[in-house]
Amino acid sequence: MRSSSVLLATVLALVPLNGVLSAAALPKIDFPVDSPVDLLSADYGESNETARGGALLLDFHAALSLRNATQRKIRGITLLVTAQDVTAGGKGSVTITSLDVGPQETFPVRIDLRLLRPLQASSSVPVQIGLDGVLFDDLSFYGPDKLSSRRTMTLSEWEARRDRRYFKSVLASGGPERLRQEMLESLTHEADRPSLDVQVVRGGRATNFEPEKQVQFAFLRLPDSPVEPVDGMARIAGNEARAPRLEVKNRSDRAIRYLEVGWIVHDQTGREFLAGSVPAALNLAPGQQSRIFENATLKFPQLGAQPLSIESMTGFVSSVEFADGTLWIPTRGDLGSPQLQRVMAPSDEEQRLAQIYRKKGLAALVAELNKF
Amino acid sequence: MKHPAEVQIALFAGGDVGRWERWRVARHVARCAECQHEVQSLRDAGTQLRELSGEMPDLPNALGWNRLAQEITGNIRVGLAAGEAIALFDKPASTKPRLGWNAALLLLGATAIFAIAFWSSLPPQQAEHLLASLKRIRTERIGTVIRSGAAAPDEVVVEASATGIQVKENGRTLSLMHPRSDGATVSISMQGSAGVRFVDADTGQVTTNKVYYAEQ
Repeated sequence: MRSSSVLLATVLALVPLNGVLSAAALPKIDFPVDSPVDLLSADYGESNETARGGALLLDFHAALSLRNATQRKIRGITLLVTAQDVTAGGKGSVTITSLDVGPQETFPVRIDLRLLRPLQASSSVPVQIGLDGVLFDDLSFYGPDKLSSRRTMTLSEWEARRDRRYFKSVLASGGPERLRQEMLESLTHEADRPSLDVQVVRGGRATNFEPEKQVQFAFLRLPDSPVEPVDGMARIAGNEARAPRLEVKNRSDRAIRYLEVGWIVHDQTGREFLAGSVPAALNLAPGQQSRIFENATLKFPQLGAQPLSIESMTGFVSSVEFADGTLWIPTRGDLGSPQLQRVMAPSDEEQRLAQIYRKKGLAALVAELNKF
Repeated sequence: MKHPAEVQIALFAGGDVGRWERWRVARHVARCAECQHEVQSLRDAGTQLRELSGEMPDLPNALGWNRLAQEITGNIRVGLAAGEAIALFDKPASTKPRLGWNAALLLLGATAIFAIAFWSSLPPQQAEHLLASLKRIRTERIGTVIRSGAAAPDEVVVEASATGIQVKENGRTLSLMHPRSDGATVSISMQGSAGVRFVDADTGQVTTNKVYYAEQ
C-alpha cells in the first residue's frame, strides 16, 4: 500500500503541471527615455509556465498598447526580444509595418513567445523587450538598429508605396471592378503559393550523409536591377543545400553597400519553392565585381510525406541598398514574370489591402487607398 | 458460480462429509440446479445399487453392502489425504524466492511507468536532444555512424515553419509563435535568421516575427 502511494506520487510528479506566470517571470519592458513611443499598458492574459520532464516551458502572450509620442506619423516599429537565459546568442524581433499612426494615437502590438529552458536555469527575468527602431512617414528613423530594422522597415515601406501606387492606378484606369479583380487574383495567388518548413544551420553540414554534389545556380535577370549575378554554385546533398558562393557585378553608377539574392530551389518532381535569401553587406563600387559566400546550411525537413530532394536552383537579386541609403526593389513588372509569380508572396502592403477587401469590402479598400 | 468438486458432491450425496463441508455443499446445492441434479442422480444410483445387492444371490450374505460402502468411502478419504500430503511435500520449502521475483517484477513495472511518464512529459526538443545524446554515446561506444534526422546537438539551428519560428541551442529554444494562417510567409536568411510575415486577423496589422542567431 505504501509503495503504491509512493509510485502514484512519482507518476503524478511527472505529469505536466500548468501554472500562471509569477511576477518575476514576466518580461521586462524597457524603452529609452527619449523613445518616440510610450508604453501605456501590458497585458499578459493567458501567459503560463509548464514543467515538462527536466524542462520549463514558458508561454508569453503579451498584448502591449503603445502611443505615438511624436508629432510625426509612424510607419513601422521593431521590438527586440532577448532571452539570454535561454539562448546565449539567440534573439527575436517583432516588426509591424504598413502602420499609419498619427501623433498621440495608440496602437497595439502582440507578442507570442515560447521559451524552453532547463528547470534549474537561473531565476532572473527570462525575457527582455526593448525598442530596436521606429520608422516615420518621412523615412526618418529612431533607434539603436541592432537588428538592421531600419533597412527592413524602409524596404517594406518602399514596397508599400509601390503597391499603393499600383492599385491606385488600377482604380483610376479600370474603376472599382478592376480593383476587385486585382484583389481576387492576389488572394488566389496567396492561397496557391507553395511553402515549406526550412532550417538554417550555421557552419558545416547538418546531418545528411548522402554524397554531395556541386550545383550551379541558374539566374533570373531582372531588366533594371543594378546588380547582375554573374556566377554561383552551392553544395547539394539530398534535402540540404550549403555554402552558397555567388559572384555579382554592380552595373549601376552608384556604390552599393548591401544586397540580397533570393534563392529558389527545384525538387525532383519539378516543384519550385522560395527557399531563402543570401544577404551580403559589401562595398561594391560602380562596375566592380565581388564574391559572396555564406558558410551555412539550408535544410528542408519534410514536404508532406515525401522528403524533398533538391535538383536545381535559381537565384535573383531581390533588393539592393546603395551607399547613400536609397534602395532598389523589383518593380511590379519584374514580379509578374512567371517564375517569380509562382514562388514570391505578395508584399506586406498587398496582403494588408487584400485582407481589408476580404473582411470589409471594396468600399473600405478604396477608402484605405485614398488615405495615402 | 463455482461448483464443488465431484468428489465433494459424491461424499455429500452419501452423507459422508463433515459438518462444515456439509453446510457449505448444501448451501451451494440449494441454489444450483445442476448440482441438485447430480446429487439426486448419485443418491438414486446408491439406492438402486442397494436394491440390486438385495436381489443378487451370488453375493455372500455376510458381506453387507453398507459395510462395503463405508470401507470404500474410507479408502477414498485415505487416498485424498495422502494426495494432499504428497502435494505439500513436493512444494518448495520456502516461499521467499517467489516473493523475490514479485518484488523484481514490481520494480520493473515501476521503472517502465517512470520511463514512459518521463518520456511522454518531455518536450519534443528535449526528447530530440536526449535521443541524439544517447545515439552519440552508442556511436562512440561501437564506432558506428548512426544517421539522424536532427541536427547535431551542439549546433545552433534557426528554423521556420507554418506555426512558428525558433532558434534552438543545446536543447533550449526561443520561439515566436503566430496564428496559423494561409497568408503566413516564411523566410530564411543564410546569415542565420528566420522570419514569418502575416496579417494579424484581429488588428489587420502586417506583423513580421524574426529570430536571429549570433552576430546579427
